Amino acid sequence: MSERVFALLVRLYPAAFREKYQQDVLQLYRDRLQDEPGPVRKTRLYCDLLVDAAVGLPMAWRNSYGEVASTRVATDASGLPSFHMLEREPLRPGSVIVGCVFSLTALVALGMVMRIPAPHRYSNSREGLSPVETVLDRLNRVVSAPTGNGDNSDTTTVNGPSSQGQAELRPGSEKAQAKAEPLTEPQKEEVLQGVSDNLTARYFDREKADAAVEKLRALKKQGAYDGIVDGPTFADRLTADIRSATGDAHLNVAYSRNSIQNAAPSRPSTADILRYRAMLAQENCSIEDAEVLPGDIGYVKFNSFPEASVCGGNLRKAITKVGGTRALILDLRDNSGGFPETVAEVAAPLFARTVAWYNPRAAQSATTLKPARGSTLANEPVYILTSPRTLSGAEQFTYNLKMLKRATIVGETTGGGGHVGAFHRVGDHFGIGIPETKITNPYGGPDWDGIGVEPDVKVKAADALGEAEKMAAKRMQ
Amino acid sequence: MPKRKLDPLPTAAFQILLSLVDEDLHGYGIMRQVEQQTNGRLRLGPGTLYSSIQGLVEEGLIEEIDRKPDAQTESERRRYYRLTSSGRKLARAEAERLADLLRVARAKKILRGEYV
Repeated sequence: MSERVFALLVRLYPAAFREKYQQDVLQLYRDRLQDEPGPVRKTRLYCDLLVDAAVGLPMAWRNSYGEVASTRVATDASGLPSFHMLEREPLRPGSVIVGCVFSLTALVALGMVMRIPAPHRYSNSREGLSPVETVLDRLNRVVSAPTGNGDNSDTTTVNGPSSQGQAELRPGSEKAQAKAEPLTEPQKEEVLQGVSDNLTARYFDREKADAAVEKLRALKKQGAYDGIVDGPTFADRLTADIRSATGDAHLNVAYSRNSIQNAAPSRPSTADILRYRAMLAQENCSIEDAEVLPGDIGYVKFNSFPEASVCGGNLRKAITKVGGTRALILDLRDNSGGFPETVAEVAAPLFARTVAWYNPRAAQSATTLKPARGSTLANEPVYILTSPRTLSGAEQFTYNLKMLKRATIVGETTGGGGHVGAFHRVGDHFGIGIPETKITNPYGGPDWDGIGVEPDVKVKAADALGEAEKMAAKRMQ
Repeated sequence: MPKRKLDPLPTAAFQILLSLVDEDLHGYGIMRQVEQQTNGRLRLGPGTLYSSIQGLVEEGLIEEIDRKPDAQTESERRRYYRLTSSGRKLARAEAERLADLLRVARAKKILRGEYV
């Protein structure tokens, strides 16, 4: 222990004590150091000093220093305001306790804050980008996470877990962002040719594809596209024209400010997948809340349907845990969708028999859903809370359960996120989304695409939970 | 009247009083004297020593003396301490108390060997 260290130790003594004795204390230390050479004696000295601090410190703090302070006050009493350092007085035990309590509280608070999971946010829903742009953007980057079902290596599903489903119906509407160089005639020709080729090669209805191609060709001849030099405008025009020719609102041509790489997105590496799964696990598979509310009502709020192999079990466990109650409320008000497999896996325990299951993304759209064995949830009343932020896979879940009359939908009409379409690159800045399979809806009639799922009970999204609780309670009576 | 810190008298304080019976000493001298009179069993560390000294000064049992008598061997000015009459009285009372205790212990024959 050097003298400097010892001086630090001395600082623990009361200020008044130090003022008076610091020099003596340090002198004594120096004297002993000088008089007691050799490692054995030095070690003994250091031990003495530590023991001494343990004994001497409380003793020093017990001594009174009042006399020092009071004499100072007396000498300063000249009618002028004077200031005194409180440090002269020893810390009272009360102050020490208060300090301890405050430090502990701060520490505990910090610990609790660190345990709160960060708000669920998808890596691909970046601010200011529409879902279509996000996809275009993603095509440019090395894909950092698995991108969903249907492993078409050269396509990407337009309808990923997106946050702005409605924007999908208005491709190329982000004119404000466009500040690109003007389109040239050869470029436009290239895009037209690419769009036509893709339609012919991929659209499920050959006749309509041909009609659309014909129409584009005719319009081009008439000079309808002359003078358009703005990418988004051109994309909008093409979209409008092929839609009017085919009557299919799923078709769209989109423009991206960034150049779309020709190469298909590489398959994610194992490390990427592991990182993605770790991220999901860290975010608790987007499960925000799972508890049993007063009145024996199970409540689960989850904000996506993440990859089934990672999170299917977690979601089911969370729901089963609060199940077996008198009613189950599934809060999808902030659920932006996800994987159709997960949607099916979450729904399966709710049924006791095999039911027709609608999945617009599957090649064969009408499939069946087999019930999970031994589920305690099959006969439990289910309420689904919706909002305009309920999108895509969450809409599929809501729509199917509504059609199967398995759940009561409470809240606002869902976002109406479009569902299907593979995306193909056309030129450096354009792409076309084309539905490649004809979808049969087993329940008949239109689904939620573009219109959303209507709730059974229309209330403000914010009031949906209260309303569902009320309904569940009434039903129990 | 502040609470009496030196009742009962701590060992360190008693030893300091005893060390000052024969002569006035500075801090380090007191430490050495205490070590000597306890056959090396008690070595007062600086914190304990000066806290005890301060307590004894506050109680008026010892006092500081301004001039140090032994000027030629010491380069720096050191604070010397002298036993006051009340300090001497207290040391005597404490010694008698201990002597009483010792008498009782002897009568109960719990001491052995050379102490008996």
